Amino acid sequence: MSDRKTLQVQRISGHPGPVAGAGMQREEQVCKLIDTTTCIGCKACEVACVEWNDMPFQPTMFDNTYQTMPDTHWNYWNLIKFNEVTNEDGTFQWLMRKHQCMHCADPGCLAACPADGAIVQYRNGIVDFQEENCIGCQFCVSGCPFNVPKFSPTTKKVYKCTLCSDRVGQGLEPACIKACPTGCLHFGTKSDMLMLAEKRVKQLQTVSGFKEAGTYDPQTIGGTSVVYVLHDASNPEKYGGLPKNPRIPLSFTIWKNWFKPIGLIASMMAFAGVILHYVTEGPRRPQPQPPVKEVDGGEGKKEN
Amino acid sequence: MATSSQRFDRSTNHFINRIGLTVVYVGELLRHRAYTRFLHWAYGIFFFLALLSGFGIYMPWIFRWFTPLFGGGAMTRMLHPWFGLGFVFFFGLQAFNWAAAMKWGQGDTRWMKRLRDYVTNRDTIEPPDVGFFNGGQKLMFWEIVGGSIAYVITGVIMWFPEIFGRIAVAISYVIHDISALIMLAGIFIHIYLSTIGEPGTMQAMTRGTVSEAWAWTHHPAWYKQVTGRDPAEALAEARRTQARSSGDQSNQ
Amino acid sequence: MTNGWVDIKNTDMMLIMGGNPAENHPCGFKWVIEAKRNRDAKIVVVDPRFTRTASVADQFLQIRAGSDIAFLGGLINYALANNRFNHEYLVNYTNAAFIVKEGFKLPEDGLYSGYDATARTYDKSTWNYEEVGAGAHASDTHSHAVQSSPVPPPTLPPNVAYDLSLQHPRCVFQLLKQQYSRYTPEMVERITGIPRERAIKAWETFTSIRQNGDMKKAGTIIYAVGWTQHSSGTQTIRTAAMIQLLLGNVGRAGGGVNALRGHSNIQGATDMAGIFDILPGYLKMPVPADTDLKTYLTRTTPKASKPKEWDSFNYWSNTPAFTVSLLKALYGDAATKENDFAFNWLPKIDRKYSWAEIWDDMYNGKVKAMMAFGMNGVMIGPNAKKNIEALKKADFLVVCEIYPDETSEFWRAPGTTPEEMAKINTTVYRLPGAGFAEKDGTFVNSARWLQWKWAAVPPPGDCRLDQEILARIFLKIRGKYQQEGGKLPDPILKASWNYTNPNNPSLAEVAKELNGKALADVTDPKTNTTIKADQQLPGFAFLRDDGSTMSGNWLYCGSWTEAGAMIQRRDPADPSGLGIHANWAWSWPMNRRVMYNRASCDLNGKPWDPDRKQIWWSEAKQKWAGNDVPDFKPDSDPKSHMGPFIMNPEGVGRLFVPIGAVADGPFPEHYEPTESLIANPLHPSQSNNPIAKRFKSDMDKYGTPDQGYNIICTTYRLTEHYHYWTKNNPMNVQLVPEPFVEIPAELADQMGLRGGEKVKVTSARADYIAKAMVTKRIKPMMVDGKKTYQIGIPIHWGYRGIAEDAGKTAKTPANYLSPAAIDPNAYTPEFKGFLVKLERV
Repeated sequence: MSDRKTLQVQRISGHPGPVAGAGMQREEQVCKLIDTTTCIGCKACEVACVEWNDMPFQPTMFDNTYQTMPDTHWNYWNLIKFNEVTNEDGTFQWLMRKHQCMHCADPGCLAACPADGAIVQYRNGIVDFQEENCIGCQFCVSGCPFNVPKFSPTTKKVYKCTLCSDRVGQGLEPACIKACPTGCLHFGTKSDMLMLAEKRVKQLQTVSGFKEAGTYDPQTIGGTSVVYVLHDASNPEKYGGLPKNPRIPLSFTIWKNWFKPIGLIASMMAFAGVILHYVTEGPRRPQPQPPVKEVDGGEGKKEN
Repeated sequence: MATSSQRFDRSTNHFINRIGLTVVYVGELLRHRAYTRFLHWAYGIFFFLALLSGFGIYMPWIFRWFTPLFGGGAMTRMLHPWFGLGFVFFFGLQAFNWAAAMKWGQGDTRWMKRLRDYVTNRDTIEPPDVGFFNGGQKLMFWEIVGGSIAYVITGVIMWFPEIFGRIAVAISYVIHDISALIMLAGIFIHIYLSTIGEPGTMQAMTRGTVSEAWAWTHHPAWYKQVTGRDPAEALAEARRTQARSSGDQSNQ
Repeated sequence: MTNGWVDIKNTDMMLIMGGNPAENHPCGFKWVIEAKRNRDAKIVVVDPRFTRTASVADQFLQIRAGSDIAFLGGLINYALANNRFNHEYLVNYTNAAFIVKEGFKLPEDGLYSGYDATARTYDKSTWNYEEVGAGAHASDTHSHAVQSSPVPPPTLPPNVAYDLSLQHPRCVFQLLKQQYSRYTPEMVERITGIPRERAIKAWETFTSIRQNGDMKKAGTIIYAVGWTQHSSGTQTIRTAAMIQLLLGNVGRAGGGVNALRGHSNIQGATDMAGIFDILPGYLKMPVPADTDLKTYLTRTTPKASKPKEWDSFNYWSNTPAFTVSLLKALYGDAATKENDFAFNWLPKIDRKYSWAEIWDDMYNGKVKAMMAFGMNGVMIGPNAKKNIEALKKADFLVVCEIYPDETSEFWRAPGTTPEEMAKINTTVYRLPGAGFAEKDGTFVNSARWLQWKWAAVPPPGDCRLDQEILARIFLKIRGKYQQEGGKLPDPILKASWNYTNPNNPSLAEVAKELNGKALADVTDPKTNTTIKADQQLPGFAFLRDDGSTMSGNWLYCGSWTEAGAMIQRRDPADPSGLGIHANWAWSWPMNRRVMYNRASCDLNGKPWDPDRKQIWWSEAKQKWAGNDVPDFKPDSDPKSHMGPFIMNPEGVGRLFVPIGAVADGPFPEHYEPTESLIANPLHPSQSNNPIAKRFKSDMDKYGTPDQGYNIICTTYRLTEHYHYWTKNNPMNVQLVPEPFVEIPAELADQMGLRGGEKVKVTSARADYIAKAMVTKRIKPMMVDGKKTYQIGIPIHWGYRGIAEDAGKTAKTPANYLSPAAIDPNAYTPEFKGFLVKLERV
């Protein structure tokens, strides 16, 4: 990840034509691996995120939990979700999951976004918001299956984790990875991270007795550039609402990609229709129509 | 029987009429008084503002050149709901204004059944039961009423997604679009019919008057109502007059 | 830590108890995770609360606060009964085979032999080894000693009787068995509230590394102040040490007894005599009976005490060299052979001057003034309200801080009326100190590494470095003594103060002084190397007792040598892969990363685990060699049978601690916390630690269940905050905005209490109000047949800070609640496991 090539644009929301430079480099997708089984909820990642992105502090409220705030915020992109879970077999778990943008391969936000260049997906998999192009419509909020993008009422723009595209572009790991003290966060190529995840999953299954341990890389959205290792992959919901099969709403896929142009064409058919009508049927004039005046050279004149 | 427009003339509408009273020349009939015309053009303008600003959001990869007209994407996004509200507000007033005139009747149903004849210009003049508005106009009116309600509900949901949630927005998004597409189709027909499709119509929304000929041709029942003359007879009379005058000309 | 942070990655098994490293030592916790990930190591967590550490554990056991010894005693019992120890290690590296003096009695009734009920002290003369051939006369010596007055302190016999078969009824091993046979799973369940099958499973898991005595694997015990802060705190830690000796885990990579120090430099403070009864380098403090240096050295220098056939390095025999070098560092040229190296200028302690005693003395009008540097005095001690009252009686108070703190504003503690404030005559001087990032210097971490740090930013405004403030005060006082004279002026007038800038000594100069230098040419006869006068010493082997060397702290000798500042090294290389990182900073003693590492080898000097070779005996070189620095006499042939625990006069590890080196008994015994819901199931008539100190002032009250104090309360810290500082930092306040009380969900249901509602916690001393955090992470437990609830309070808030100043919190310090009951060895107060009432507000 040591060059700027990883920050090549792959897709641009609402933009016509091909993406410049597409297909020029070998694809190397970056990936963040979050091993929830070794997360200790220390919030170093939260602090690193706030500090690196120079975000202002905000008052929080005690809410009967260790979780900093109920959900991510437009200026708080990285939040560890704490969940006290009593399992069906009576065992108790205190689950901690670092919640942030998942950087989907099929980003719902990007699919939903109507603003040219407001959301880009880099070839390395990072899905990044470009503040200057954001129009503040918040469709991305609805398009996201993970409820990640957050709207700022002050700036009227939407913000989320950038996977530290600024750092990654310079060959550095994201700030949260840098800050993680236990190494529960890893960063590298997607294939490497999946390999690491698989290794850990196997260890959890054989050594730690978590039979349902697994990797969370939901294929319903083409996989993600943020991958989780879970003690219980059969029930990701218990990790603070991680959807088992995240999906982009059909309105931002089928509707937006197919029915919208078709609908527009159908509407334009009305335009064509009236033109056709004028040509074939002609106008409907008040009756009686004035008689046709015979003028020399006019078509109405008959030669005698 | 007084039309609704006449009722408004007498009640709430003095202000507008004071600014520009409609001048009706001989051979013309008062079609839309100034208030009605004002409303029409007011929501007409807002409709196009909303439409054009909406285009940029609807399908930016084709229509992104619309957004600079409104000061860029963010401004477009900010203005669009206000344009929409402007449209809905003035159209709402018009809806009250026209509510009685737009009441659906038996004749409208019959008109709808004869739609094919209408489109193919089979009849020289409309059947005698076509009143102030024909069935097609009423249909469009009520479509806009329904569409406006849909706009407002879905628009507000999309305006404040944090309140209504992601699924509501996703559904609203589609309904809003469908509503817009129907209206877009409608506006083509509307403009066509009010300009080159039916010459003489435009004047009704500019000066507020139409020719008597226009009236007995397109809205015979209304003609009869405001003049007391039978439209068919009026037409026959006009034809006779026309034939006489053309004969005079040729004799000279 | 006997080992080090990085070394945890070498372990196969972890018992984390009395500590919450995931929350309070998150950076060091990476090594726990490494071991888990790379070695399939298991984690057993025992804690009163399900903590963030517990969330990554393989097993979690909820224990009643203050019953740790019972659980650990049960573990010893389990290990002994299931052959989970290695005979070779046990017999040769511990005092298991040593025979204990006749007359020694185990505490079946809660008391060891020699208890004096009126003085609440022990006569420790029977707590000793039997001398070879002296068995019959032992009691005679004792009775003789009693007649003469004063009683000379008991000493260890030079020639200890022993039984390698471990069968002698009075050998340490048999006594150990007898002592802990009482800690049956049933008894442990009654005391700790841990269901016996879960306890057995945990014991089985932890001791599984020593199945049938196989030495391949190693297990570590990790703890923090959750063990220390009890009236039997030292004994709890002793129990852990005994377990590790029994299992053969001490001295080994991935083993050891590992104390996690809470502050960034608490280890350094302890090394530098942050406690009243030691001098730098853990030399003993002189007492009034030490009339001259010789008397002092005779008292404090141990003599080897071991089986005749064995060898013992007895490193503390160098005490005279360490002491004289220290005196030379303190008083320079003024310390001469003729004046006993100015020994008599050292203060002598006539009684205890521990933390709680100082405040008690101030409360009783004996201490008139206080200088508080780098600590928030009224917040950190127990029974904080009494401390605030004490300050009201003082003449003056000097506080050096970086924030306005509760100590310097004790006069505005909650509940103080304007009339009361008007009556307070204490003058408060507030000095603007510099923060840690604003000054150079060292931190000594838990792994004993001295790591130099450089100032990151200059101190703001008028803030000054601590050393400058201290130096200016010192020089001012010295000036006054010079002008006006005074009582015993010499220690002040003649103190060595040879710094380039006397008003602001550079810490590099101080560090060099601590390392020490030769004052005359010094030659090591074995290696024939000579250190010339004025050269930095390469290590404490060069320290001399004749005044030819000086060193401010013998343990730090070697940290700043002629080769440069070892403490500034930053080479992360680790060729052995054992996490030794020998060229990263410097650890005492002599850069050894694992202490007692001789014990990582068998009797013949071969590593127990060939995959984790720390040191080994090189037959070819006739020397100990290794990846780590051998913590041993380098040329001691294994055949000479020198014990690996060179700091003990026995040379072996102490399962049995003789002659009262631990004041409350040679073996740890479970005593109930000072405030307890039950009578001790082991011996109800002697429920508490008989020699733990309680205070007697009118503000020192201790609650009982009869008075309605029916809930156990423990105090702790959060990841998100650092003591009483970070409540002044918006980022930390954002993470956890206000104080709370963790309450078991079941108890809350009974009270009709919901999370976020305010509760009042009342102890016999004061009350505390905060919001309730209702959680499933604390469960009710059955203790001695009674349903018992525990609650927890994080300590980080007071009456100054962002939320406090904004009026958003209740403003009471958590330590209003805790009792001043102190451990008889370390004098640590019982911050954990006291009794309270709980009500809705």
